[in-house]
Amino acid sequence: MAANNALDRLVGLAMLILASVVFLYYTVWTLLMPFVDDNHPLQTLFPPRVWAIRIPVILLLLGGAVVGSFLSVVMIRSNRKKAAKAKAAKAK
Amino acid sequence: MTRAQQQLALLATFSITYFICFAGLLPLPEKIQDEIIPVLPFWFLVSFGAFLLFKLGYGVLTFNDVPDAYEELMGQIKQAKTDLRKKGVDVSD
Repeated sequence: MAANNALDRLVGLAMLILASVVFLYYTVWTLLMPFVDDNHPLQTLFPPRVWAIRIPVILLLLGGAVVGSFLSVVMIRSNRKKAAKAKAAKAK
Repeated sequence: MTRAQQQLALLATFSITYFICFAGLLPLPEKIQDEIIPVLPFWFLVSFGAFLLFKLGYGVLTFNDVPDAYEELMGQIKQAKTDLRKKGVDVSD
């Protein structure tokens, strides 16, 4: 029987909407705003364009740090397990 | 031509085209050169991320559980583990 949890569907829909909003906002920010006059009211919706570069770079560095730390934790844990097993085998 | 070679060739084409535009070797309107070209890689990255998130969200939205297949799969996993342990492979639980 096929079942689709209501909470799961909500999470999926939220991801969908977030992805679309991020894409639209960023596209307008980086590709459209240069052609908009500086005194147009639309400019008030967007921060200075330097941040269009800074935010992705910061997120990339943060993401790399998270992935790297996760990898190192897993490797250290597996090495420790291997060392403990080798010690147990030798002590036998 | 293998698939990897094909993808590499595509990547090289785009990289070289972008680098030529970025280095100012192509005469472009000043507005585009100064403000749009440097931002393009970041735009591609953010759009790609948004596309992946969209795909994920859509998959989660339309996913359907199949309890029978789940039971069958868990049984097969257990069977495989016991078989491997009998043959001497160290299987973690």
